[in-house]
Formats: sequence, structure tokens, C-alpha cells
Amino acid sequence: MSKKILHSLNLNGEEVEVATPAGATLLETMREDLRILSAKRGCNQGVCGACTVLIDGKPVRACLTLTARCEGHAVQTMEGMGGDRVMATLQRHMVESGGVQCGFCTSGILISARELLEEDPAPSRAAVKTALSGNICRCTGYRTIVDAVCSAAEELAQ
Amino acid sequence: MSVVLSPGSVEDAVAMLAEHAEAMPLAGGATLVAMRNAGLVEPTHLINLDCIAELRGIERDTTGGIRIGAMTRHCDTAACNDLTGSLLVLRRAAGMIANRVVRNMGTMGGSVANADPAADYLPALACCDAVLEVAGPEGRRKISIHDYVQGWYETALEQGEIITAITLPAPVAAPSAYRKIARVTGDYATASCAMALDPDGKGLRAAIGACGPGPLRDRDAEAVLRGRLDDPEAVLDFAACLAALADPLDDVRGSAEYRLRLIPRLITSVLSEIALQTEVA
Amino acid sequence: MSLVQPDPVFVGGSVGKSIAKPDNLEKVQGRAEYIADLYRPGMLHGAILASPHAHARIRGYDLTEALNAPGVVAIVTGDDVGDGRMGAFIKDEHAIARGKVLYVGEPVAAVAARTEQEARHACRLIKVDYEELPAVLSPEEGLADGAPVLHERLADYIKVFDAGSAGNLCSRTELSEGDVESAWADCDVIVEGEYTTQAQAHVSMEPCGALADVDANGRVTLWSANQSVFRVQANVCESLSLPMSKLRCLTPRVGAGFGNKMEAHIQPITVALALKAKRPVKLIMTREEDFEMVRARHPFRVRMKTGAKADGTLVARECEVLVDCGAFADDSPGVMGYSLLMCGGPYRIPNLKASGRLVYTNKLRFGAFRGFGNPQVLFAGEQQIDEIGDRLGLDPFAIRRKNMLREGDQWFVGPRIGSNGLALCLDAVEKAAKGPRADGSPRNFGLAVTAHISGLLGTGAIVRMLEDGTISLNTGATDIGQGSDTVLAQICAEELKMPFDQVAVASPDTDGSPYNWGTTASRVTYTTGRAVRAAAKQVVDQAMSHAAEMLECPIDDLELREGGRIGRRGANTDVTFAQISGRAHWAVGGPLVGSQTLVYDEPTHDPKRAIALGLPFPRIGVFSFAALGVDVDVDDTSGQVTVQEVWSAADVGRAINPRLVEVQLHGGFVQGLGYALYEEMVWDGARLANPSLMDYKVPTSRDVPDAIHTFIIEDPDPSGPFGAKGAGEIGLNAAAGAIANAVAKATGARHSHLPLTGERVLAGMLDSGTSSERSA
Repeated sequence: MSKKILHSLNLNGEEVEVATPAGATLLETMREDLRILSAKRGCNQGVCGACTVLIDGKPVRACLTLTARCEGHAVQTMEGMGGDRVMATLQRHMVESGGVQCGFCTSGILISARELLEEDPAPSRAAVKTALSGNICRCTGYRTIVDAVCSAAEELAQ
Repeated sequence: MSVVLSPGSVEDAVAMLAEHAEAMPLAGGATLVAMRNAGLVEPTHLINLDCIAELRGIERDTTGGIRIGAMTRHCDTAACNDLTGSLLVLRRAAGMIANRVVRNMGTMGGSVANADPAADYLPALACCDAVLEVAGPEGRRKISIHDYVQGWYETALEQGEIITAITLPAPVAAPSAYRKIARVTGDYATASCAMALDPDGKGLRAAIGACGPGPLRDRDAEAVLRGRLDDPEAVLDFAACLAALADPLDDVRGSAEYRLRLIPRLITSVLSEIALQTEVA
Repeated sequence: MSLVQPDPVFVGGSVGKSIAKPDNLEKVQGRAEYIADLYRPGMLHGAILASPHAHARIRGYDLTEALNAPGVVAIVTGDDVGDGRMGAFIKDEHAIARGKVLYVGEPVAAVAARTEQEARHACRLIKVDYEELPAVLSPEEGLADGAPVLHERLADYIKVFDAGSAGNLCSRTELSEGDVESAWADCDVIVEGEYTTQAQAHVSMEPCGALADVDANGRVTLWSANQSVFRVQANVCESLSLPMSKLRCLTPRVGAGFGNKMEAHIQPITVALALKAKRPVKLIMTREEDFEMVRARHPFRVRMKTGAKADGTLVARECEVLVDCGAFADDSPGVMGYSLLMCGGPYRIPNLKASGRLVYTNKLRFGAFRGFGNPQVLFAGEQQIDEIGDRLGLDPFAIRRKNMLREGDQWFVGPRIGSNGLALCLDAVEKAAKGPRADGSPRNFGLAVTAHISGLLGTGAIVRMLEDGTISLNTGATDIGQGSDTVLAQICAEELKMPFDQVAVASPDTDGSPYNWGTTASRVTYTTGRAVRAAAKQVVDQAMSHAAEMLECPIDDLELREGGRIGRRGANTDVTFAQISGRAHWAVGGPLVGSQTLVYDEPTHDPKRAIALGLPFPRIGVFSFAALGVDVDVDDTSGQVTVQEVWSAADVGRAINPRLVEVQLHGGFVQGLGYALYEEMVWDGARLANPSLMDYKVPTSRDVPDAIHTFIIEDPDPSGPFGAKGAGEIGLNAAAGAIANAVAKATGARHSHLPLTGERVLAGMLDSGTSSERSA
């Protein structure tokens, strides 16, 4: 029952070989087999958004994505975003705005926000709220998160 | 643990489903993987439909009809410029499913196959007179959306059949709209309404979601209503016909009584929304 | 007293500055470690088997098949945990079901295996032989004659207060002052109603979890998601009959709490598994288990009656609550007792009587949740204040101003009010919310006011000056994300006149931290802050002694200077903390350590004033105040309520970190909005019908108003650190009351059941005639 299958993944720009249980989700594989831990298991049902990662640049739920399906696609997590200027700007504004409280939702939120700014570099507050509506935050009431994304977008536009 | 198999063709997928008794077809995963994570299903094999070219993409045929591959993601349906006029309702419904991230994953075929009565596509497809193309061990066939849902989570799909595409008649220039009453943004519907006006503005097609095992549509009542859209009594009589078809549940999203109460309210509010669109146009 | 706007710029001093939490950085980089992110060599994974029955006797277990399943190392059942019982007020709860199960979802057995999947698989192979018993599913059923009894040995349990327990009655509390019965005759207007409130789930984004490891001597180290390492230690040791010295409790980052991580969840089971397996075991709950097994906000039935004179002066109130306890007492007696203390609201009501009964039922335990009892009684009380105002033609601000408690008044049953900025809160909301909306349309405005305590029980701080003159601060208070580490470091830095970034905050550790009851009841800034300030002051005093010797002058001539220096007044000469600390470490006197513990010890009950029976918290705390205004829209099709704009003003004494106070007000309001409009745990018979985020809905970013205006009012409390009082719950308490008042304005219908779903609001509109049925 614990038979593992070998998969090759493109994870954060590196080719990775990983042995993971048959039918494992990307979230399970990353956490249990690769110790990529920024994506969190908040619900395992695709609702909370704490496991949001990018596949081929689009945000998806790692908990609903089978690892077997990731072969041939580029997976990006927060661990792989160190050199991204847009992400760095978003992070800085989140730190300063008060948009970070417990932090459990934060990676997922930033990944959703990062992709939004790719699609729409100057989003309205309503657009930000729509883009983040699949990422639950129970601490902040969202206000300071929306502030952070909007002010980061403004700074990036300059 | 499930073995993941990735067939390259519809025929291979159907063969794999036939070969493994406990196999399930895997479309976007938004529902099936969530159910598996919760221990509600334990398929031995997941037949990954992601590598089958035939299931992808939205195309127009020579008559202007639209064919939506079963593996088309909600985000692509929600952004599809071919879904105009009478088909705009489907685009709007796609854009209200869950949230942006889940819309990047979930597929129309997966959602329709799952046949959750509170999900968004079924009423919209019923309003559009969609036809499902399916493939199975006995070959290929078509199922009208109106014959599709046969009970709570029971559909006309036979054992081992998969949906390959959803086809729609060519869009006509007439306004259409979708409204969902849900507890919070992105929730499944407590009740929903898909509606399209006839091109001449004298009649409508309407389907109600989440008030029975399948979408509620009454084409006879639509015929009766035709020519009387500006008669509030006639509209309410029409809504009463739909309500008479309803078999709503009491659940965490609302009581049966509330759902019955919402049917005429949805019909009148969506109709006035559409009327506004017409005036603007 | 002043109105302050948050100041994001850090210039000099620490207190009053919106310093970004240092932990934010690791969180935005995805590097913060929560309990699920911890791994130990040789670690096993745990899983739990949940009871399928609401009430049943356990006749035996058959573990054969499960023990032989792949990867299984150990299985724990009630047979493994002895007869120890835990509980903050009434010790009624085993580590795991033993003898009986008392609710659907209760842990009956747990497995440690190589992987989580293997542990879960083995759980399904455990066979438990149950003898089903009739269940109690509501407090009313529990109090009925001949009701099945949950705790047959209730009389023998240890209780820390006069609970009056009997049958299924877990506790009762009765409070009164004045003479309510005869006061009704003096009233010109009386309003009366019965209100019910629902169970709300905390939905901390991080589900509960724990990791236990056992050393060669059998001593256990336990990491867990918690709000108090000391409550974890007490609960595990009581339920497993371990000496406290045999258990060390630690905490990684915590993905929020709101009360559900205050008392035990699965820490005792995890320790039992690790002791049996003799290997480290990590157990992380699923979201569904977190819903079904941890705890939730209490459903209340509130009967309330309020009377006033024709001029609006409040004369009397009577409040009776019936509270669903769930299967175990947990923090429930405290919650009910506190709700009764709060049931009069921040008003002068000379005749006030409150009584409550807390009843065991076969449901998961209810327990601490942000606001703990206050939102339930406020939903009733603040609607009744508006109703009286409506009848007498007094606007919501006027009737509240007329009756509000003032500085120096006594709260219900006796506590003296120190600072009280409620009048300023009302002013701020009224001024900002005045007039119509931007588009000229009238507002559907609702107002509610609230007070909340900060205080309760023991706390401590140890401030150590390191060799180089920088500081290590150790308090044992768990930062659950709200920023208490930051706030406490600001208080410490301010007292020492040091830069904030030279104060390091130690993570809570029962081996090395001073006792802290917990991060709960808005208490850390106020109580722990006091201890921090006092401990830091001791370090300053010790440093002064050194400086006097080093500068060869009397202590009285010295002054503490910015940046960690002590100098002689009127002279440039000074010594740095580094010089002082070096001297203390290597030459004279020993390292500088300040240590302060304290317990909140102002008695709640003034026996000359009031009668109090069964008061679980005899010493509560100081009072923060708040006013909350909301403007709502109601959809005529669905009855659904949308909050358009919010004005939240809170008197927090002194905002040590204004931005963090603001976010408490934002987040508290939105959690309260969920409580007011959407959130409800629903039972289908004995089984929770919606234990998932699919079916239990919390507000998303699109369901909350963009315009949440916050006003921080600072009326410093003489006893608070730099005047500070608590801010954690005050933003939530009034949400349901204010929204209900706004809905009444919009629809002409009053509501006595929460949540205010579209369904309920629409029914109200049809009753009041503000909408009509659309039918042929």
C-alpha cells in the first residue's frame, strides 16, 4: 500500500525526481516527500486556498492536483520566488500593511496576488477582492491584504 | 492510493474504465480529488483525461453551433468570446463557479458528470438546450440536457461512459443572464436561475437550479408565456409552473420552503435584469 | 484622551508605533514553521478513530486487524490512559473516550504508523463494541425528567468553583443587584424577548495538531498548535496522570486560535501514542476533524427583559440564559459566567438580575471563542436598547449616551471601572457615519456598543540583559499571529529606552518561560505587558546600580538615556548597557535579570452591592469599550444582507501598536459578520451536517465591506502598561447586535435568531410588509 511511483517534476525551475505514493496529490508529495512546506493543508478540499501554487503560471490548488499530472508542467511555490521582483514587492507591502497575521494563508494569498498582477498590473480594489476570493483569511478581515496588493501594484507601476 | 492512468484517446480511456472495476475518470479533479481526500470515494484507478486532445478546446462548427470539449476549464468557458447573446448565460455561470483558482482546475465535463444539483452549469446548459456527447463501451451517443438528470446525482450516463463534449446551438442575438443566490461568494447555489430572451423579445427560456435533482425547465409554460412577458400575472403563473416542478431539499444552504419562495423571485428579478440589458442595447 | 491615526513611521520610542511584526517576514516567504511543518527523526504519524455514536458504552475493542495493518506501530484506546481527567473548571474529560463515548466524532482510538495514510487506514480496521445509549441533543432535553445522564460520576469530579452541578446540569450561575421584581413597576416601557444564537466554528486556518517525542528517561517534549503551553501541560498531565515535570511543552508558529487552541485538543492523545510507540508521533487533524472534535462557540437561548423610564433612563433588566455545554465542561462555566456579567452591557442599570444554566449534551464540547459569551447576550441586549429608544423616540446614540457607565462607576456585581472611553467611541462613530451615503441615498444604520475585559489569572515575564547589552524577553505567552510578541517587545524596549530590534522574544517553553495562563480573553497586552514592564524596570534598576558604581555617583543623579545608556544628569559621561552587562557577567554582581510574575487580583464581586452564586471567574479584569456602526443593504429578491460600510471605534487605553489594534478591529468585525450573517454549525440528529469548508461558509474577501473605518480611542488605564487595555475581542462582540439593528432599520423586522440568513431576513420582510410574496 505504500508503493511509491517515481515522477519527474519541474519544481521551482529545477528538474526533480521524486518517489511518491501512487495517486498522491501535489500537496502530499511536496510536503511529505520533498519537504516543500510553504503550501499548507488547511482543508484538503480546495476551498481554503492555503495550498495555492502556480502550475505553468496559473494558480491551482496543490491539494486537488495529482502529482502524476504535473509531469511536463512547471510547478512554482513560494520557495522558488526568491528572485521575483513583483513577489518581493508584494511581500514587502504585506509585511508593512498588517496583511500578515497568523500567516497560514499568506503564501497562498501572495501566489494568487502574484498571478493577478501578471494578468492585470493595475487592478481595482474590487478586482483584487475577486482574485483573492478563493483564499480564506480568518485573521485580517482582508482589508489590509487588499491594501497591500493595491499599493504593491502602484509601486510596480512607477 | 489510486493508480493514475493517462490514456491518449477517448477509446483508450473507455477501455481502461471497462478494464478496472473500481476505476473513475478524472477530469479537473476539483470535485473528485476533494471527495477522495475526504475518504468519500476510493477508486483503485484514476483515468486521467488530461492527455486526450479530443476533449480540449471550444470550437464553432459550420452552422455556428459551439462544441465545448469536456475538459475545458471553467476559466476558459468564462472567458470565451464565442459565448454571446443567448449563450452568454453559460459564460456568466462559468464565471460564478467557486473562485478564480478553482476555475483554473474544474472542467465542464467533470461538473456535468458529477451532476451536483446546486452546481452552476446544469441550469445554464438547460437554458441553452445543450446536447452532451458521450462515449462508452457501446460506442458514442448524444444525450439531450433535458434527458440527462434522472434523480439525485443520477444521470443518463451508463456505466463506463464519459462525457466528451457539450454542444450548443448557434448563439442568437438575444440577452441572457444567470443569477445565483448563495450564502457567500463562490458557494454552491441555494437557488439559481438561467434565463435567455427569445430573439424577438416576446418569449423566454428559463431554468432553475438547486431546487430539485436537476434543472427545472418547462417548455410548455414558456410557450404559454410567449407574448405576455409584460404581464406580471403571466410571469408569476410561469414561475408557479416551475415551482410546481420543484422538489427542493432542506439543507445547510436553505430550507425547501425558502427555495420555493425564491423561484418566482428569481424569475422576476432576472427578467427585469434582462429587460434592462435590452433597453441598454 | 485622543483620537490617533496609525503612524506607520518608526521614529524613536516603541510604544504607539505601528511596527511591523518581525515574524511577518518569514511568513511572506513561506518559511514560518507551524506544527504540521515539524519533522523528527524516526517520526510516526497519528490518526484518530472517531465515535459514530452520540452516546454509547464501550464494551470492548478488537485491535487485531489494525495492529497487523501495514506500518502500524502503536494503538491507543481508553484502556491506555488511566482514570485521569482534565478540565479548566470541572475535571470531567479523559484524554480519549474511556468507558463511554459522549458525542459523534469523539476520539475513541488512535493509531501511530509510518505514514498518515497507513494510520488512517488502520483506524478503519479497529473494531469497537458499543452499547448504544439514548442521547441528549439539546439543553432542554438534558434538563428533562428522566433524561439520560452523560456524566454519572459528576458529583465526584474536581471543580474549581461552586458549580452546583447535578444530573446533566454542568453549572449554574446567579447574579443580582438592586431589586428587579419590584423595579418593573417603575418602568414606563418594557421590552421582552427570547433569542437563540447558533454554534460558530473558529475556523483557524491552521487545523489543530501536535508532535510528541519521548527521551531516554521517559520525559516527553510536546510541540503543538496552542494558545498556552501551560494549559497544554496541565491538560496532558491531568488526563494522563503524568507529573508536570515529566512534560515539556513548546510551540511553533500558530496559525491562529480564536479560542479553539486554548484548552486541549489532541495533545493528550498524541503524547499517549508517543509514550506507547516510544517514538516521536505527529498528529495533524483534518479540517473535518477540527470541526467535529475540537470546540465551538456556545449556542445560547437568552430570555431578556429590559425596562426604562419615559425619558429613556434604564431601570431594570433580567436575563436568563440556557447554554449548550456539549459533552465536556471545558471553558464553558467561565463563558456562561462571563456572559452573565456582561448581560447588562456598558450601562447603568440599577436593578439587574442574571441567571444561567449550562447543560451537558451529546455534542462536541463548546468552549472559548473570541468574545466568550458576550456576543450572545449582546445580540439580545443591544436590540432591546434600540427597541426602547424607538418606542421613546430617542435615537440610538442618545439612549446609549444617556445610560452609559462612566469612569469610576461599578460594573454589574462590583468591579470598579478605571478608564472609560465609550463616550468618545460614540462621538467618533456618530461623526463619521453622519448623513446619507455618497450617492445621496439614506443609510440603513445600526449601532451597538460593548465592553470587554482584559485581565484574568497569572502571568509573568523574565527580562535578561545579554552580554552585549541587548535583551532577551521571555514571557510564555503564545503569539497566535495577532502580534503579542511584537507588542510585548515594544513595551520592553520602551521601558528600557532601547531600539525595538534589540529585544528578542523567546518562544514559549514550559521549561524556561514564566507561567502564562494563555493567549485568551484579550489579556496578553494588559496582563503580560504589566509583567514585562515591571521586569524591564528591574533590569533598569539593576543597571542603575552598576552605573552608579561605574560612574562613581549616587543613583539619584543618574538618568536612563535613549539607546541603552545610563548617564549622569547634566553631564555627557555615560555608560552603555553593553559595558554594564559585561561588568555584571564577568566581574560584579552577576548577569542582569528582571523577573516579575503577577495574577489579576481585583475581586469581581462586591458583596455589599450584589449577590453572586457560582461565579467561575472571581477576578476578571479592566474594561475596554467600543462602539460599532454598520450600514447594510438587504436584497429584495433573496433577503440577503450586505454590509456596505463599518465604523468601529474602540477604547483600548493606549494602542501600543496602532496597526495591530486596527487589524484586530477589522478581523474581529469580519468574524462577527460571519457570525451575524452566514456561519452556523448544523446538526442532523446527533451528527454535524456541515463539518467542512464546502458546507460551513466563512466570509471571503468579496463578502466583506471595503469601507471599514476604525477609530482608536485612547483613554489610558492607570493599571495598564503605558495605559493599555485589551483589543482582541472588542471588535467582534457588537457585530451581530449592530447588524441586527441595521437590518431592523432596513426591513422593519426584528430578529431573535442568529444567523440573519437571507431566508430569515426575507421572512421578516414579508411579515413586516417591506417586501411582498411574488406568487400568482
